[in-house]
Amino acid sequence: MLIPITISSSSTASLPVQLTKLGNDELVLIELQGSLDVECTDSSERDGQMVGTFRLDEGSSKPTLAIGHHLLEGKIVSLPKPFGVIQRSTTPSAPHQNVHNHDPGDAMCGIGSEEGSLRWDMVAIVKKKIVFSKRPMPIVGTATIAVGSSSKKD
Amino acid sequence: MAEHTLRFSPTSSKDVASFKLLELPPDLCALIESAVPPTLTIKGHPSEEAVLCTSNKTYAIRSVVLSNTVLVVTRSPGGNEEDTDTIVIRDQVKEVLELVPSVPRLHKLGVLLRGMGYDEGQDEEGMDVDDDILDGDDDRPPKRRKLTYPDAQREIQASEAELSTALKSQHILILNGALRPITPSYLTTVLELVLTTLISHGLPHTSAVPVKDVVDALAEEYEVKKEVGRQVLEWFGEIVGGVGDREKERWEMDVEGVVREVGLGILRNHKDDPIAEDEFLTQWKKAVGDTFESAVSLPLLSGNYLSTSFPDTHPKTLTYFPSSSLPLDPPSRFSDLFLTRPKWLAADIAPFLADCAVDKKERDKLLLKYARATTEGTGKEVYYTARGKM
Repeated sequence: MLIPITISSSSTASLPVQLTKLGNDELVLIELQGSLDVECTDSSERDGQMVGTFRLDEGSSKPTLAIGHHLLEGKIVSLPKPFGVIQRSTTPSAPHQNVHNHDPGDAMCGIGSEEGSLRWDMVAIVKKKIVFSKRPMPIVGTATIAVGSSSKKD
Repeated sequence: MAEHTLRFSPTSSKDVASFKLLELPPDLCALIESAVPPTLTIKGHPSEEAVLCTSNKTYAIRSVVLSNTVLVVTRSPGGNEEDTDTIVIRDQVKEVLELVPSVPRLHKLGVLLRGMGYDEGQDEEGMDVDDDILDGDDDRPPKRRKLTYPDAQREIQASEAELSTALKSQHILILNGALRPITPSYLTTVLELVLTTLISHGLPHTSAVPVKDVVDALAEEYEVKKEVGRQVLEWFGEIVGGVGDREKERWEMDVEGVVREVGLGILRNHKDDPIAEDEFLTQWKKAVGDTFESAVSLPLLSGNYLSTSFPDTHPKTLTYFPSSSLPLDPPSRFSDLFLTRPKWLAADIAPFLADCAVDKKERDKLLLKYARATTEGTGKEVYYTARGKM
C-alpha cells in the first residue's frame, strides 16, 4: 500500500504577527500538560466554542493562556528536531489513482484503489513550539472584586 | 493587540485525528525545504511496520506517545480576514511520529519472487506457477501472477533508488514487464560466456566494449536471449553513450564484479563440503581465464564464505556461507551466527552484519547489544562471543 505525502502549504490565512516569528506563518503548536477535556454529548458541540485567551506581547517571550479562572504561563521552546505537520486529505489525487488499474478480481489491488484517495499533505514545518508546563494560577479577576465591593455597599 | 481568542475550530470535530507530527531528521528537513520538494511516500501493508520513503532513502516510522497534548493551532479555516483576533485549535495530538533511518526492507522481494527464477532456455510461458506458497494468505490473489516493477514498488518497503539497486544487485531480470530473478548457476554461465566472447572475438576488454557485438555474439553462439544478455551487462558495469543509437553503446565492465560473481558460482557448490583455499583459487582463476586472473582475490567474496581461521588446521578451507541467507532482524541473525560459530574475530563477523545496519556506527551498536567482546592473544585481536541469556 502506498500513501503519498505531498508537500504543500495549507490554505488558511497567516497567523497574527507575534506568532509568525515562531517560524511558521500559518500554524503554531501549543503544548499543554494534560489535555483539553470538554464535556459534550456530541463532539461537534464544541465546534467554534471559546477555549480561552492567548496572549503574547510584541518582543516578549512569555506567552500566557487564560482559560476560565486559570492563567497559564508558558515559554517558547525550540524543537530539537523540526516537526513536519501532516494533514489527512481525502480528496482523490489523479496521479495516484492511475497506479491501481490492474486486472479485476485482484484482491491486493482492490485494497490499493480504496486507499488511492487517501493522501497526507505536509502543511507546515515547525521549529518552535509554545509550552505551558507550569501549574495554572487562579485569576482573581478585577470584575469579581468590583462586584464584591459594590455588593458590600448595598 | 497581542491578545487572541483561542477557540475550537468550527471544523474541529471533522479534523479529529487528521493532523500528525512527523519528527524530521536534519537531512530530510533540508530536502523538504529545498527548492524542489521531494516526493514522500508511506509504504506498508496494515500488518507491517510502516516506512517513509524518499526517492533514495527509507525511514522507519515509530510512534512515540506524549504525556502532554500538542494543540495544532491555525487561523480559522475559511474564516474572514477581519477576524484577526481569533486563532483556532484544529486538532489535539498525543503522539509524535519519529523517523529513523532504516535499511530497505527488501527481504519480501525474495519471497514474492520465489519460484519465478529464470534459467537457461526458459521463456515466460515456461515459468512454473506455484500456488502452494501463497495458500492461506487471504489478502493475496489465489493464482500466482507475474510481479511487475510497479507491483514491486508498491509491495516492497524501499525507496525507488534502493529498489532499482536491489534489482541489479540481486540479479533480477525484467522480461516482458515481469520481474524474474536469474538463477545463480545460469548467471555464472552467462558471465563466463561473456569473458570467453570478449577474448575469442578480440573485443576490447574491460573498457569501451561494444554492447551490441557482445549481446549479438551471446545470442548467436550460445542462445542467450538478447534482453537477458543486455541486462546482465548492465548489472556488471555501466552502459554508456549511444543515446537512441544502440550501435554506439559501450560497456564499461566492472571487472571485480564479474570476477566476484564467477567466484561465487564456484563457491556455491561448497556449502556442505569445504574446499581448500588454494584449490578454490586455482579453479576460480581458471574460470575467469588468463586475462582476468589478476583480479581474483578472496576479499571480493567477503560475507559469503566461512574460512577455517584457526592456525592449527592445514590447509585452510572455505565453505559457502552467504549473509543473504541469514535472517534480517538482528537478534535472530546473531543467534544464527553464534550457532554457526561460537567465537568470531571482529573482522570476520563484520561482513555478515553489513546488510542489517545502515553504517559502521550502527553495526558497532548491534555488536555491543548482542555480543560480548573479548581481547585475546598477543595481537590484541577482538573476539566476539554470544551474550548469555538475554
